Amino acid sequence: MLLLILKRVLTAFATVLAVIVLSGILIHLVPGDPVTAMMAQSVTATPEVMAAMRARLGLDLPVWQQVALYTGHVLQGDLGMTIRGNEPVARLLLQRLPNTFALAVSGLGVALALGIPLGFLAAIKRGRLADTIVMVIAVLGVSVPAFWLGLILIQLFALKLGWLPVAGSGWRNILLPALTLGLTYCALVARMTRSALIEVLSEDYIRTARARGLKEHRVLLVHALRPALISIVTVVGLVFAYLLGGQVIIENVFSWNGIGRLAVQAMLERDYPMIQGFIVVFATSVVVVSMLIDILYGFLDPRMRQR
Amino acid sequence: MTSSIKSRLALMAAATAIGLAAGFSAVTAADLTVARSVDADSLDAQKASTTQSLQITNLIFDTMLTMDKSGSVQPGLASEWSMSPDGKTYRFTIRDGLKCHDGSSFDAAAAKASLDRALSPETNNPNLSAWGPITGSKVDGKALTVSLSEPYGPFASFLTSIQAAFLCPSSFASAEFKPIGTGPFKFVSWTRNDSIQLAANPDYKNANPLIENPGKPHIDKLTFKVIPEAVARMAALRSGEADLVEPSLEEATDLKNDSNFKVYAAELSGQQMLAAFTWKIKPLDNPEIRKAIGMAMNRDAYASIAFEGLVNTANCPVAPNLFSTDEALCASWGVKYDPEGAKAIMEKAGYTKDKPLKVKLLVHKLPGWDQMHQIMQQDLAAINVEAEIETREVAAFFDYMKGVNEKTDGEPAVWTMGMSGVDPDYLTFLWKRPGFVNMGLNAEVDTMLDEQRKLSGEPRAAKIHEIEKYLMENAYAVPLLSPGWGWLMASNAKVEGFKMGFMVSLLFNDVTVSK
Repeated sequence: MLLLILKRVLTAFATVLAVIVLSGILIHLVPGDPVTAMMAQSVTATPEVMAAMRARLGLDLPVWQQVALYTGHVLQGDLGMTIRGNEPVARLLLQRLPNTFALAVSGLGVALALGIPLGFLAAIKRGRLADTIVMVIAVLGVSVPAFWLGLILIQLFALKLGWLPVAGSGWRNILLPALTLGLTYCALVARMTRSALIEVLSEDYIRTARARGLKEHRVLLVHALRPALISIVTVVGLVFAYLLGGQVIIENVFSWNGIGRLAVQAMLERDYPMIQGFIVVFATSVVVVSMLIDILYGFLDPRMRQR
Repeated sequence: MTSSIKSRLALMAAATAIGLAAGFSAVTAADLTVARSVDADSLDAQKASTTQSLQITNLIFDTMLTMDKSGSVQPGLASEWSMSPDGKTYRFTIRDGLKCHDGSSFDAAAAKASLDRALSPETNNPNLSAWGPITGSKVDGKALTVSLSEPYGPFASFLTSIQAAFLCPSSFASAEFKPIGTGPFKFVSWTRNDSIQLAANPDYKNANPLIENPGKPHIDKLTFKVIPEAVARMAALRSGEADLVEPSLEEATDLKNDSNFKVYAAELSGQQMLAAFTWKIKPLDNPEIRKAIGMAMNRDAYASIAFEGLVNTANCPVAPNLFSTDEALCASWGVKYDPEGAKAIMEKAGYTKDKPLKVKLLVHKLPGWDQMHQIMQQDLAAINVEAEIETREVAAFFDYMKGVNEKTDGEPAVWTMGMSGVDPDYLTFLWKRPGFVNMGLNAEVDTMLDEQRKLSGEPRAAKIHEIEKYLMENAYAVPLLSPGWGWLMASNAKVEGFKMGFMVSLLFNDVTVSK
């Protein structure tokens, strides 16, 4: 088990490092740089002023040198300063991470609270009306764009009913984006729960359990649900990692002040340190959550510990 | 972290119940909430580059001079000012009794400290070159004397602009910048990408001729919220969560006809849209071809259809209301809408329906502009010009145009852009070689642009007219519309007295909100 954890940690570190270097190169391939973006609205910025600004920001260095310098700083725990506001990137990310984390947890909570019971219901009522209804809901949930759903919820709860605010990052403001995310991802969770349970319910040991006369709810909840959880955990883990990366669209629709919005603004401004800081956080959260899922497998399924 | 999550989840659950029961609190008459699409990038007026930033800094800081509706320069922080006969020395007498928001005095020494910082290379001031050829400044009693290496005609106008704010020295006394000025509003707090809070300055004494209220703003608290999504901004306005918002173009048209709302268009924006050409690439090196393309452009349709009648057509390469701008005079120099005449020119040059001139129409995305480009494409097709639209995001666009404007061969292109300012001198930044995104023209234009800077008053106006005539008779620029970006605001009917000044500055001094 210890070896499994060690291997996963080393792989995770190498992955994050590769992402930093690759993203550093890719950012510089995108047309425009921070100075051009800054001066897009300012015709008074002469080429001399812009060149001097590039030199002061180190943007006149070759790309490999800029990427190498940045990677070196990240390895020392320094994510640098933003180009626009000259503020520490790490501080800005840390200020917004709690908001993103709260939204991710709330959205996931709604998705699980709705998705698992619906998937469970569809699996045990397979081929019947309840299954069809759940699957229609699931297809709708996957197909409906999150921003559209968000805007509809705003129209309903903020404008028509006047119950909730439209925008902001206060505690009342989390309800609508969490509901939007929950409704979007509950479809995925329901589908995964359904297919995992159907697979488990066809196993011999379930038939044996039933033959031994165990009550149905005990068969389903104790003997079937736990093995099915492995597949569900994988999806939940990946969804959570994705949500931690900042729900760019949802954060924009609801003006939720998370790292997703910070990233969008940074991209428009070509604020390289801020973009890379976001990528580091996003990549790290995906890698860490994947690693935790791998380790969790070991606990859920003893066979995994042997690999 | 765990307890934080728990408490947030608990709050969520509680909020569901409370949210169902509670309505939204009404905005009081003393507060005003403004919702904009993007946040400021900095509140340091000497480092900020975007209009959204300068709209805020202009409320916190004052300018040395101000400008009235006719484009004439008026007093500001300086109660009076004078220029030496050789045009190389300016003397500004600072008003008595000016107080910074932290209680310190704003005098000539403070003005000098602010000026020195604005000009310092360490500041990274994006507008450094607009300050002109300043060689030094000195404090002389209540006055600040500024010396220039050569006459600089636009200097007084520039000192009225939102790019030329004067900061209180306490703003930059420590390593971390604090927005402390003498303006009508004090800085309270800023949560990036979320909100900026300002409070009325009780000691404020107004000098801006666009404002009627002589003292403290009527509202006490001013909050700027960031709501990126246009639909959400409109929902905020309609639900009362915001009093004043940036509407989308489509929404503005609806609101205009609704008595519950008001729509404001910044007529003094100083903004100008124009079409330009890659004139170094054949056949656009031929002024006749450029003129024909200009003659095909139906500016009335762009204004009435693409911009829903919320902008005006413009005749000059400089925005209306600025010094020396004479729309009637420009109309006599520029091309007129004449698609038949344009088609005849193109056919004479060998471009027919079967063998059209192929060009790129290089543009960047903005509301209204997208539809204007589609109509423009049809206009050009009618005179046998096949234009392929290429749209880029703004930063990428200007970077790309820098390369395109250097080329002397390849596919010719027509492109559109906008600029804004408080003085026609922005012609220099655009057209003097190498020029903005390498759009500079030639030695003759360079000389005229240099000369206008050394003049003032009527002689300067005459020289600017000469430059405009040259640009238009040679069809290097086709003026289109004014204004054209971020110039619209909408409020509920309870808001009175809101105004927009030059460079789409937001003026709240006269604003009252009825309950």
